[in-house]
Amino acid sequence: MNSGDAAGSSSGGSGDAGAPRRASRKPKYSKFTQQELPACKPILTPKWVISVFLLVGVIFVPIGVASLLASNKVVEIVDRYDDACVPSNVTNKLAYIQNSTISKTCRRTLKVPKDMKQPIFVYYQLNNFYQNHRRYVKSRNDQQLRDASKANETTLCDPEKTRDGMAIVPCGLIAWSTFNDTYTFQHNTNNLSIDKTDISWKSDRDHKFGSDVFPKNFQKGPLIGGKTLNESIPLSEQEDLIVWMRTAALPTFRKLYGRIYVDLKENDTITVTLDNNYNTYSFDGKKSLVLSTSTWLGGKNDFLGLAYLTVGGLCFFLAFAFTLLYLIKPRLVAYKLSYTNRIKFHR
Amino acid sequence: MSLYNVLFTSLPVIAMGVFDQDVSARFCLKYPMLYQEGPQNLLFRWSRLLGWMLHGVGSAVIIFFLTIASLKHQAFRKDGEVIDLSILGATAYTCVVWAVNMQMAITVNYFTLIQHICIWSGIFLWYLFLIIYGAITPSFSTTFFMVFSEALGGAPAYWVVTLLVAVAALIPYFTLAVVKTWFFPDYHNKIQWLQHAAKHADPEEELGVVLRQFSVRSTGVGVSARRDAKLVRTNSKVIHADSSSQSQATVELT
Repeated sequence: MNSGDAAGSSSGGSGDAGAPRRASRKPKYSKFTQQELPACKPILTPKWVISVFLLVGVIFVPIGVASLLASNKVVEIVDRYDDACVPSNVTNKLAYIQNSTISKTCRRTLKVPKDMKQPIFVYYQLNNFYQNHRRYVKSRNDQQLRDASKANETTLCDPEKTRDGMAIVPCGLIAWSTFNDTYTFQHNTNNLSIDKTDISWKSDRDHKFGSDVFPKNFQKGPLIGGKTLNESIPLSEQEDLIVWMRTAALPTFRKLYGRIYVDLKENDTITVTLDNNYNTYSFDGKKSLVLSTSTWLGGKNDFLGLAYLTVGGLCFFLAFAFTLLYLIKPRLVAYKLSYTNRIKFHR
Repeated sequence: MSLYNVLFTSLPVIAMGVFDQDVSARFCLKYPMLYQEGPQNLLFRWSRLLGWMLHGVGSAVIIFFLTIASLKHQAFRKDGEVIDLSILGATAYTCVVWAVNMQMAITVNYFTLIQHICIWSGIFLWYLFLIIYGAITPSFSTTFFMVFSEALGGAPAYWVVTLLVAVAALIPYFTLAVVKTWFFPDYHNKIQWLQHAAKHADPEEELGVVLRQFSVRSTGVGVSARRDAKLVRTNSKVIHADSSSQSQATVELT
């Protein structure tokens, strides 16, 4: 920085031999402060615009085709059973489901539409069940789930905090409402074993649910919301609970029940013996059993492939339209301005 | 999530505000009519502001619904896992970070190294945050624990959805920007085209020499100036006459 006393020193130099050098207040020049950094100035020329749209189209259409092919390869059996598994002579479904003395066993027959290669994933699907409701999502205590010494931590678990003065482990509405329908399978009259290990995320088993935390005082109240837990199995091995406690994002969701490591052929018959315990009748929910294969993209969802194809097609259309406009150029003022020299100057 | 506003998307915006130049300093001095964009309120009109707000809402709608429709109740990985609240949230968040930073890349007129750093680091920092925050003990990171390292990073569906949603959110703006700069350019857009042509033109034939500096009307501000300027814009002719000055220059741009 140059010295600041410029005005004072220069004004008094009347009798000197040469005019005293005026100390300048000009800041030191730098490209940064003068905003002259090297830069490129991109502009939307026809060449760039059309090539960008073409590039997006060329990338998106093959991805869309690949996604659609992957989705079509998935074989899925979805069987809704909550309406069919209630006997036809029952008028009050709610009373029926809440009556613990009636046996709720139900048999369903599924037909395999196409060859299904193992592993085949078994899910239960719930509709109209808002696991993403804010109060519901908060109704848990992570410290209690992880640490045996924190068993009495039940903050935020209302209304399932304590029972008879003792803390409930695991507390909260999410644990209280664990899904409790069970399924056993038979494949063409042979018993089909279902692997129920490793259905939850490893990080949940290792870090969020303690291996020394045991259920205590659970489902002892007048209202039973769902599954009753075995008090001798630690929480880190209660995989159904862990899967359920990973709250779903949307009101229609599936949760992994188990895996089948047997190939199923087309037109095979799968007989399912299920226990229709879970109450979805009080809120118009639906329950379904799903058997599905998977691909690199996951399960069956045509939307991704179709969306890619739509966006790719739209980009091709836009590239075509802009090419046409560029060729016809009706009022392309800017283009004309830059590439023609018809600027008349009158005086 | 206030980190979102501060870290992942504020830097490019600040960098744009500080470093962006729609027209270079040299051309600014040559075309004083550019100054009129201020008094005539061309850049901060309500229609323009509402347009940007609408664009924000529209992008949010596109991102939200496309993400939800792509990741529904089916499995999203080869091992059959389904999505949950944190996975859907992290995916949507990723799409937003990409869309916003790419939006900055499209909007910026003057791409310095600093802009590049801000935009790309915004995106990179988001992934870094996901990894680091996900590695912190779950008593702090709760639902985001290992969400990227375990669930999303290895899921091709995650990357496929991010690409689709980010591009789909940007296409409307990009198309409108092209239509605007090609067919309805603002005065500074016209100067940008001139700048672009001047770079490619014969150095001996400098377009700027042809256009002389001309004086502005005596009423350069106010309602009457805006009214006149509107007339001028619609006729796409620029006629200036200053009765007080000696020379009278008329420039006709066809």
